[in-house]
Formats: sequence, C-alpha cells, structure tokens
Amino acid sequence: LLWKESWELGKNPMASKGSPLHGPRIKLIDKAQNLFAETKEHTFESKAAEEHAKLLRIQHELEVSTKQAIFVDSSISDTIRTCIVLGNHRAAMKVKTEFKVSEKRWYWLKVFALATIRDWEALEKF
Amino acid sequence: MAQIPNLDNSPLNLKSLREQSQRDLVKILKDIRGKKCLVIEPKLGGTLSLIIQTSLLKEYGIELRHLSAESVETDCSKVVYLVPSQRDLMKCISSHVHDGISKGLQREYYIYFVPRREIQCERILEEEKVHHLITIGEYPLYVVPLDEDILSFELDLAYKQCQVDGDTGSLWHIAKAIHKLESTFGAIPNVRAKGKASVIVSDILDRMHTEEPMNSSDMALSEINTLILIDREVDMITPMCTQLTYEGLLDEVLRINNGSVELDSSIMGVQQEGKKMKVPLNSSDKLLKEIRDLNFEVVVQVLKQKATSMKQDYTEITSANQSVSELKDFVKKLNSLPEMTRHINLAQHLSTFTSKPSFLAKLDMEHTIIEASSYDICLEYIEEMIHKQEPLINVLRLLILFSVTNSGLPKKHFDYLRRELLHSYGFEHMATLYNLEKVGLLKKQETKSNWLTVKRALQLVVEDTDTANPNDIAYVFSGYAPLSIRLVHNAVLSGWRPMEEILKLLPGPHTETKRAGFTSSPSFATLQGGSNGLDKITDGRRSLVLVVFVGGVTFAEIAALRFLSAQEGMAYDLIIGTTKIVNGHSLVETLFDRLG
Repeated sequence: LLWKESWELGKNPMASKGSPLHGPRIKLIDKAQNLFAETKEHTFESKAAEEHAKLLRIQHELEVSTKQAIFVDSSISDTIRTCIVLGNHRAAMKVKTEFKVSEKRWYWLKVFALATIRDWEALEKF
Repeated sequence: MAQIPNLDNSPLNLKSLREQSQRDLVKILKDIRGKKCLVIEPKLGGTLSLIIQTSLLKEYGIELRHLSAESVETDCSKVVYLVPSQRDLMKCISSHVHDGISKGLQREYYIYFVPRREIQCERILEEEKVHHLITIGEYPLYVVPLDEDILSFELDLAYKQCQVDGDTGSLWHIAKAIHKLESTFGAIPNVRAKGKASVIVSDILDRMHTEEPMNSSDMALSEINTLILIDREVDMITPMCTQLTYEGLLDEVLRINNGSVELDSSIMGVQQEGKKMKVPLNSSDKLLKEIRDLNFEVVVQVLKQKATSMKQDYTEITSANQSVSELKDFVKKLNSLPEMTRHINLAQHLSTFTSKPSFLAKLDMEHTIIEASSYDICLEYIEEMIHKQEPLINVLRLLILFSVTNSGLPKKHFDYLRRELLHSYGFEHMATLYNLEKVGLLKKQETKSNWLTVKRALQLVVEDTDTANPNDIAYVFSGYAPLSIRLVHNAVLSGWRPMEEILKLLPGPHTETKRAGFTSSPSFATLQGGSNGLDKITDGRRSLVLVVFVGGVTFAEIAALRFLSAQEGMAYDLIIGTTKIVNGHSLVETLFDRLG
C-alpha cells in the first residue's frame, strides 16, 4: 500500500508539469519507474513508466528536428501516425521498432495515416 | 429549464416530498430580508430545476446566478450561495468575498450547504479569513423525485467514491435520505441488502433508528413494506451493455440529464442553425410514458402505426360530413400531435445510429461476451478496436464486460491489452487503468469464472425474445435479462434465502433484517405475494417496495422493473431510488483519472 501511495505521488507532479519542463518531467518518470521496480507486483507499471520516459525523449527529438511542437503528449500510435502523415517514414519505422509495435497495429496505423493524407498510391502499393 | 414532472400518479405521495423541499428553500430565502442575489452551483442548479421553477424564485425578487470563478456582479446587498459541500468551491467563494471587500462593497454573505455543512469546508473559510463574514446554513435536500416512480439522491460520484476512494460519505447520505422518507411514509419493516455498500447503508439506517426511534403508531402506518438495497458492484455487467429501450437508447446517444435531453434544434426539425434546445422527458408526456420502456425496434413501429391512424382520421374528416362530436374527438387527437412529432424526430435521430453496421457489430459482440461462448473472438475484436483507436470509453466498456464475465483476464492477455491501450491512447491513462483494476472491473484472472453458473441459474440469456410482446425482462437488452433485476425480482418474491448459493457467487455480503416491533407479528414474517395480512391493511392498494441502487441505475433496468411491476400476479408497486441514473459511459467516465 505504501508503494501505491508513493507512485501516485510520483505520477501527479509529473503530469502537472507542462512540456517545456522536459528535464524534470522525465526525471520524475524515471523515479517513478525505480519505485515500481522495487516491488514485484508492479513490474508492469515500471515498464510502462520506462517506455513513457523513452517516448517523451523521442518526441522531444522529433520536435526539435521537425520544428513542430505537435509530438509531446501524444500516444505512441499517434506519434507513428503523425510521422507517416508528415511523410517521415523512417522516423515512423524507428518508433515502431523502438516500442516493438505489433504488425497488426502497425498496418492499421499506416492505413489510417495514408488515408488521411490521401496518399492512395502508397496505400495501393502497401 | 426542464419541465417539472407531474407526480400525480405516483404510488407514493412524492408530490408532498417535493413541496416540502420547495417550502424549505423558499423559507430560507424569505428569512433573508431585502434584495438578494442567489448564486447556485451549476450542477445543483440542474437538480433544483426538478424542484422549483425559476419563475417562482423571480417572484420573490431574487436575482439568479451560476457559481463560477468570476466574481458576482450585482446591485443586491445580499449574496446567497447555494452549494454542495465541496472543498474546491470554498476557495472560489472566498475569492468572491475578498474581491467584494477590495472593491469596498457593503455586502452580506450567506452560504447554504446542500444537504449539510461540513467541517472541512468551514475550516477552509476560516483559513481564508472570511468565515466570520459569512452566515452559514443548511438546505437539507437529500432526495429529488425524478418521476412518478424514481427518486434520485443526486450523488453522481457515489460509485467511484465508494469503490475507488473508500469514501463512504455518500452512503451516509443515502441512509439519511431513506430515513427522511421513513419519517414521512412510516418505517419500513423489511430490509434486504446485497453488496458491501448496501449492507453499510442498512447498518447506518439501523443506527439512525436506535438514535431517533419512531413511535410505534407511525410504524403501523408504514406505506413502504420492503426496502431492497442493491449495490452497483454486484452487477457491473448490465450497465456495460448498450441499452435498447427507447429511453435507454436516448440516454446512450444523447445523455438524459435531470429528466431532459439537450440537443441540436435541427434534429427536432427547427430551422435554427447550431442552436441547442432542451426536450423534457418524463411521464407527463403521455406518449413517452407509453413507449419509453419498449424496445426501440418496437417504438419505431408504434410511432408508424400511430401516424398512419392519424392520417386515416384526417382523410375521414375531410371526405365526409362529420358531426360536431366527431370533430371534437378529432381535435382532441390533434392535441397529441406535438408529442408525436417530438418522438418521431427523436426516433429518427436515434435510428441514424442504430442502423450503422458498427452499432450492430457492437451489440453482437456484447452478446457473444455475455454468452461467454468464444473467448478468442472477443479478445481479437477488442484488440482490433484498440488498434483502430476507437473511442477509449467504448473500448473500456467492452473490455470491462469481458473481464467481469471472465472474472479477470489471464495475466498474459491482461498485460498485453493494457500495454496496447497505453500505446494507443497515451500513458496518461495509467491512472484510469489503475482505478479499473482497484474496483475489480479490469483485472488479472485469479479464480475460475462463475459467470456461467450465475447465468444459467438466473436464466440471464433468454433465447427467442419477442421484443414486441415481451414475456420476460430480457426484452430490454434483446435477449439478456439484467442480473440486477433478476436479483430484485427474487428478493421481492421470496427474499434472499432460496438463492443463497447464487448470492455467494456474487460480490459482497447480503443481509436480511426485520425491524423490531414487527417480528412479533406473524403476518410480516414472510412476504409471499398476496397471502400476507399487509395487502388487506392497505385497502386494495398494492403494497410498496422501494428498490435502491447504490451506485446508480440505468434506464433499461428501470424499464425492466416497471415491466415486472406491471405483470399480473405481482402484488407490489415498485419505487426506485438511485444515487443517480447512469449508463456505461457515465460510470466509466467517473473512473477516468487524467493525470494533469
């Protein structure tokens, strides 16, 4: 029970901090991850926190490289879709492998994204 | 403003209940002399619209405002706040007061807490150094009649508070509300409770009885014979299914709030771009009363029939010479025209949803899950929903249904689906998943599911349901009989004893209490339909059963209860009490916990 409280504690400030405060936010998530890791029954939460931190880092990089502040705080799936819509297939692939996105989900995302930008040719090929 | 429901046909004198609340409010306001501005918390305002007309308040020279962060602009020297006891609202009011002081306004402030004051709230006022400037009172509004047979305690968050936060304040509120009913209508001799929260309510109620005992002459006059308390926790399956009665479907699609829906006026055929309008939905509308609880398929046919017969009447009128009395009849029929148009418009709007293949697929899947016939198909369907990023709440409803009927998911699938959910919808939903796990709606499988046993024992899945001429409550979900209502039905007929084995398979304890003073009288010992002395006492009137849902009830369940009470051989009228009318969406929504 104590652990649960501590993770609530770790989560709340993390979320309340906005995206400009990247450094402290990621650090907090890392802390939360370590807290989770200390108990056995929270391995899932610990993994999730780890992935969350990783996602935020990647999103941050993407924002710097595309100069568009549209990535942070979207989900992994949304990030992939945004990448494909922007025509940045390599980045999409990278996110895919990074988070071991299943083929099934990958296809759905790709189809939706290509349909959004009406890239029927690519859709056909694929 | 919603139309106040007409309560004339209620089996219980709910009108007097409402008038009492009206009088209480008016008295509070009258006692404050001079011009005053009444500031109401918006949600409470919605509730009050079921009690009192705004026009009536204006007659007393009262300015009405909704509470918001902005300070109150008024010429009135007296400002009266009517608010629920919520801590965050206190800060808001304090800032209003400070603002008034800094502007040098000479005002008197009053706060009336609904239904009662709380120490924590007053402490905040003290901390903000405004406590001494405010006169504090209470407006004891515990229960609001929504319709002839529905009472609401207006506790939107009761389910979440009990199950997630472990906050039992709402249970005290429910017990208090029932106790108040008892002081008006006599003590209730039989109490049956199922589920943790229900049992707590029943205990609190007992305590209230020992603290303020009612005299025995009141007890003899008891109008309500039995109280049945059902905890929402006992049946989380029913609310997750899509309701298929007319009113239930209206609630699923348009959200019924305080007995009315708000929708685009274009749906109602009014040519006003983007304007919203409110349509009241209660039993004052005779057509609605007739069709609200029918399966939607049937409603469309009924409306069609009525329209054709009206058209026939019309041609008859125009073709032949008619006597004056016939004309009169015709005009009388025309009076129902606005109701007809209203419901044809609404039904048309609903059918744009129900005719979608995705809607039918969803229904299909719900039934597959309930029948628990093919685990893998369900799992794949939900997986695909997540991958397509369909609205999270739709996914969660199905997933909860899936998890509850299987008493949890195998760890592998549980972790996999949770991961997919976080990936698709974002990590901020972690807390929501945690809440769901905590209340046991989405969890790891630990024991074998007993859903099949329960389903079979209570005949929850009924084949060949005739929705037009239903002979079983299963018509409300086109083939699934709500578990909660099966329990209530059995409890009304024979008490818990004959089905103890089944009750043990469902969450929470169950209790059965007979109040002192009644145990000695043998006629109250059993509640077998029609055969006990009570029916004679109430001179021809059927005896009353109050069914209280702790944590909310759906329209479909209400429909099923009304169906039961209309059955022949049912010696009881049923009145429904609920913390709030809910549906799967609103229930899951209360569990949403967005971080940040």
